[in-house]
Amino acid sequence: MAISDNEFEQLRDFIYNICGMYFHTSKKYFLENRFSRRMEATGTKAFQDYFLLLQSTQGSEELTYLMDEITTNETYFFRNVSQLAAIENKLLPELVEIKKKMGSSTLRIWSAASSSGEEAYTLAMILLEKRSKLLKEWNIEIVGTDINETVIAQANEGIYNAYSVRNIPDAYRDKYIREDNGKFILSPEIKEFVTFNKLNLYEDAKMVFMENFDLIFCANVLIYFDVASKSKVVRHFYNNLQPNGYFFVGQSESLHGVNDKFKTVHFPGCFGYKK
Amino acid sequence: MDKNLMMERAEIVVGAVDDLPTIPIIATKVLQLLNNPDVRVEEIADLMLTDQVMTARVMKLLNSPVYKPTQEISSLKRALVYLGLRHIRELALTTSVIHAFDTTTGALELNAFWEHSFGVGMVSKIIAKKIGFLDSEKAYISGILHDLGEVFLSSFLREPFMKVLEYVETHSVKLVDAEEELLGTTHCEIGLSMARKWNFPDSYCDVISYHHNPGRAKVDPMLCSIVNLADLFCAVRGLNYGGRVLISFNLCEEEAWGILMHAYPRLAQMDVERFCYELDDAIPDVTALVSSMFATS
Repeated sequence: MAISDNEFEQLRDFIYNICGMYFHTSKKYFLENRFSRRMEATGTKAFQDYFLLLQSTQGSEELTYLMDEITTNETYFFRNVSQLAAIENKLLPELVEIKKKMGSSTLRIWSAASSSGEEAYTLAMILLEKRSKLLKEWNIEIVGTDINETVIAQANEGIYNAYSVRNIPDAYRDKYIREDNGKFILSPEIKEFVTFNKLNLYEDAKMVFMENFDLIFCANVLIYFDVASKSKVVRHFYNNLQPNGYFFVGQSESLHGVNDKFKTVHFPGCFGYKK
Repeated sequence: MDKNLMMERAEIVVGAVDDLPTIPIIATKVLQLLNNPDVRVEEIADLMLTDQVMTARVMKLLNSPVYKPTQEISSLKRALVYLGLRHIRELALTTSVIHAFDTTTGALELNAFWEHSFGVGMVSKIIAKKIGFLDSEKAYISGILHDLGEVFLSSFLREPFMKVLEYVETHSVKLVDAEEELLGTTHCEIGLSMARKWNFPDSYCDVISYHHNPGRAKVDPMLCSIVNLADLFCAVRGLNYGGRVLISFNLCEEEAWGILMHAYPRLAQMDVERFCYELDDAIPDVTALVSSMFATS
């Protein structure tokens, strides 16, 4: 169902204010499409009817369904290109410099909603490439956590489909991925650097033990949390970081108003939150 | 390097160019006419209509998403009424500067240059409006003009400037720092020298000279800070014609941010994340505007 520019802006503001995710104008068509599916499912006929439903007391459940529709939960390797470029070209050299001065040669990275492992393994590939020079003789520890045991099992297995691997640059792909009958198998060399565990971000007692990370990633999860939980979880992330460490959320996500301790640092096409 | 020394060098370099572009005569006359407090819109329109190129550009600028008129404005007189006299001065100035550099073949890709410039103009205007800076139009124009010196370098010091661009790529330094290192002067001083020759108003001169260090601005540190931030935001949101260095900045460590926060504390509440996302949305408007401005030239 086509919605007017004005309606699109209403919906965008609503989603942004509640979830902290911004819908670019270029995504209007996509949003319309997904939005129509939910209108059909809820039996609402006009934009305003559905929009009222979203704002009503039962709205929070419907909002979860809508967000499921519009965030495309499938993840893939090398998803957030500008974020990865900033990390590779700017942050890593900076972090290495700082940590050397502190007498440390360990880098700890946490993919806090790791799903089937693509993000964690992408980071492993990038870091591994740096082992000949910048990260020579450094310890690299990458941890992936998720609340869902099925995806953790998939992550540990390290076997992917064509969709997942389609964005991997050739140089990495040739080195670390082996194709076998339409399945794409990750090399043990990469897997060695990453461990996966089950973790619920709401579980304070476990969150406090996730310590000393240099980089933390948490994409497309906080958008489902209410403001109070969001700010609690982000406070944990802040504490889990080393000084000068960075926290990254997903593309188009925003932590505005959630935590005032982080400093927003801008890079081409993305920003990170610095401790 | 000492600013005075760099300025001296810039004056010599700019002075040595015999065929330095001039502001079109009509534009100069328009600007003079606008100084008369009793001037009538009709008089200005009649004068401007004698310069087809300027008229066409003013109309395009005016119908661009930056001004967002409710319906297309097709006559110059209506346009001038819609704008008001103050804005005409600024449009005349901008379109003339574009005109002055239109035909040169320089080291920089001109479209990308003006996309950056108009982008900085647009973002400066948005920031000015957000914080309640008195003259958002002035912010817009000074944003457009801030890198004037770059076009000069690109056009008249083509070879040395190519080396600067190469140096930026290989050494991962900022363009302005590479210019200082290799040329002994930068686009800031070169731009200022030109702006003075063209009798630009003081605050525009200030922005051209101090948009990289607004704390040193002499006339209008606020305006310089606005343009400085707009420049940074454009650089990270895809309007970075230099494009060669991986730029990054921590907003709260930026001098310009500090200057503006001091004067406009409400800036602290600004949703910077959303601001960036909205800029992404506005970029196609800027590129469309620039390509339409150059379509007929």
